[in-house]
Amino acid sequence: MKKTLIISYLFLIAFVGSSFANEVNIFSARHYDSDVQLYEKFTAKTGIKVNVISGKSGALEKRIIEEGADSKADLYITADAGRLGAFEANLQGGLTSAAIKSAVPSNFRTSKWTGIAKRARIIYFAPERVSGAELAGLTYESLADPKWKGRLVIRSSNNIYNQSLVASLIKNNGKGKVADWSKGMVSNMARSPKGNDRAQILAVAAGEADLAVANTYYLALMLSGKKGPEQQAAAKKVKPFFPNQDGRGTHMNISGAGLVKSAPNKANAIKLVEFLLSEEAQNHIVNNTFEYPMIKGVSPHPLIVNMGLDFKQDLKTKVVNYGKRQADALEVMTAAGWK
Amino acid sequence: MTKYNIWFFSSIIIASIVALPIITVFLSFFSETSSYYSLLKNTFLYEYIFNSIIILFFVILITFFLGVISAYFLSFYEFPFSNFFSWALILAFAVPGYIYAFSIIAFFENYGTAFSLLTFLFGENNYNLVIPKIDGIMGAIFSISFSLFPYVYVLTRASFHYQSNNYIEVGKNLGLSSRETFFKIILPSARPAIVAGLALVSMECLSDFGTVSFFSINTLTTGIYNSWLSFDDLNTANQISFILLLFILFLFSIETFSRKEAKYHQPGRGFKPILKIKLVGKKALTPFIICSVILFVSFLFPVSQMIYWSIKFPKYFHNLNIINLNLNTLYLVLLASISIIIVSLLINYGGRVSKSKILNYLTNFSVSGYAIPGVILAVAFITFFSNISDILSENLNIKISKNIFIGSIFGLILAYFIRFFSLSFNGIKSSYEKINNSIDESAYLLGYSKVQTFSKIHIPHLRTNVILVMLLISLEVIKELPITLILRPFNFETFATQAYIYASQDLLEAAAIPSLFLIFWSSLLILLSSRYILSKKN
Repeated sequence: MKKTLIISYLFLIAFVGSSFANEVNIFSARHYDSDVQLYEKFTAKTGIKVNVISGKSGALEKRIIEEGADSKADLYITADAGRLGAFEANLQGGLTSAAIKSAVPSNFRTSKWTGIAKRARIIYFAPERVSGAELAGLTYESLADPKWKGRLVIRSSNNIYNQSLVASLIKNNGKGKVADWSKGMVSNMARSPKGNDRAQILAVAAGEADLAVANTYYLALMLSGKKGPEQQAAAKKVKPFFPNQDGRGTHMNISGAGLVKSAPNKANAIKLVEFLLSEEAQNHIVNNTFEYPMIKGVSPHPLIVNMGLDFKQDLKTKVVNYGKRQADALEVMTAAGWK
Repeated sequence: MTKYNIWFFSSIIIASIVALPIITVFLSFFSETSSYYSLLKNTFLYEYIFNSIIILFFVILITFFLGVISAYFLSFYEFPFSNFFSWALILAFAVPGYIYAFSIIAFFENYGTAFSLLTFLFGENNYNLVIPKIDGIMGAIFSISFSLFPYVYVLTRASFHYQSNNYIEVGKNLGLSSRETFFKIILPSARPAIVAGLALVSMECLSDFGTVSFFSINTLTTGIYNSWLSFDDLNTANQISFILLLFILFLFSIETFSRKEAKYHQPGRGFKPILKIKLVGKKALTPFIICSVILFVSFLFPVSQMIYWSIKFPKYFHNLNIINLNLNTLYLVLLASISIIIVSLLINYGGRVSKSKILNYLTNFSVSGYAIPGVILAVAFITFFSNISDILSENLNIKISKNIFIGSIFGLILAYFIRFFSLSFNGIKSSYEKINNSIDESAYLLGYSKVQTFSKIHIPHLRTNVILVMLLISLEVIKELPITLILRPFNFETFATQAYIYASQDLLEAAAIPSLFLIFWSSLLILLSSRYILSKKN
């Protein structure tokens, strides 16, 4: 009898599930442990419970779409503007409060989604093998120059950071030019694209290549020692370079949150976004993920400060273009044979 | 004559539930495709097929050698630790391909574990350029091979085990050397078992998602996932699934056919068990070294890599809610195995008392859930229930929340049910068939009711097999990744999803602890079931 009771109890909770009135539900493709701590702080402050389901962006988006009006998702959090832009049809306007508008510059948000933190996609080089003269005036565009033949590493074309970078190039230079550029990039690659951004930086440190394209926070992560002493030592062998300084500036991207169309807890979701943009939360983010703060008045992590803060950011190319030009970006890269 | 009673209808219902994904896939094959399919057909499809075939070919080759060689040594020879190896080699099952993949990358990458090891041993130097880079297709082949070879080992070993010593003696009398005996007598007679093992390996290899997606290789399975998610093109996804299913159904028929053939090699009259040859001294060295190397590479290597990380990065231990992960896993394992086994028992019983032919058809149907890759099953599952809910609310104004099926424990268990029902149903069926029908008749004559016959006669008889099936389902549930990843509810992680999520955000070192727990529980289940598996006749 006892057994039957226990079993029926197990099945009962399977059916019923738990449900709280005061909650906010997050579908997160950016699931750092430090984010969880941040949500706990929010709950402590407001009493609003934060439920998270993390996963790969594609699967999360698909679930939201298929669940349709029944979806419990309030916020969709991801580490790339391109994702939010491409997903806009399933988001709703509402992130327009004064707090959000004053915190986030207009090129990093729409009414449906907003940036939470910034990252730059930059170039890393091996000072032993690349001279200052060679680097002078380096742009994303000039990475396709034949002088870098066999010296460049970058990850694969299905990576969203690359898709967003190429989308911004298409926005600025046109699809035709970027198609040629992609071919030049492929012929400059030191190896067939593999591994993540960190692996590209390590390849330069190990001498497999002279230049790597990767996001800013990866180098700081390695320098911090969180990846072990070997990678800390390896990171010291490469130097960051911020491209396009004479022109529109370095490519910027965001970690951001979008308000889901069917959001059952819209008000709570907006509260959470406002909290993520508060000084307290921003300090927590930059010190754990090594991103740049979205709001003024918060200093990035010292390791990021050391990489240099006085570079020119590309604030001209609105990040909303990353989603709009994503299909074009993928098309030109695939056509060029970019794996 | 089929009787249309409650057993008949419940069998039909279960069969249709299990066949849901396959039906969804087949139906959509005939619906319109978007332009993506023609783009895909011209550019990527051949790459997908090519990669899948290359991986499959080498995985078959490697698992064949690993499985047959180890089974040969452990069936015909006795050498130091041979008893230990005979079960320890199965432990490779405890390490899923995707976790093996994490270890390979961690070990061979620039400034990885191999680099640290060489630095520690020989002082500082740039070893990165001499350490082989095992990744991409090669990495996937190794990861999948080492996690799947026990299929070949276990089945081949069982077949060797029940080979009569008579044949071998005949061979010796005819003057065959031991090498000739092996190639002319032992190997051919074990062929059905080897083929069956390789067919299972191939099915799992083709449906692998975690490993190939970690190495970002495009195969048919990841192609389905990408066309579904990145291009929002379900029909294309289903059409690639269709191609993949053709492959798998072909393999499955090979497997079924080989198993039937294997039955003729069961011990009959005049059976003499194999006399193991005792090897000592130098002669024992070869088998001992080969078995040790296989054990080391397939099991100890990934485990030590994970342990090394857990010690090097202890902070991730605090970030994990270990108790919760254990409870979640236990919860899923209990719910899934209990519900799957109860239904299998009932349907088997129903087929028995109603003597209905439907049971045989059900057997064939139930296989589809296992043959279909987990990631496709999850896709089809969401599609199906989303469509059903829409159709009901639009046409009949019946509102069924999609949340009952998508993103709920119930939905997750239902998907597991579809996936693992055949494992359980066929496992129980095989031992049910051994209870003679006349026993039931005698029980009724003695005044037993049907319920009493079931609970007092059938159940005790089936107990061993039910326990084995339960252990196997638990093992599968613990290791299951794609279904859980796509269908799980809020705030719910298992060891598999936690490890995969960490790994996919470049925190392989944090994935070590959940991976180790996963391997620990799986190993325990393997140890518990190994005595059934090793003594099982088929």
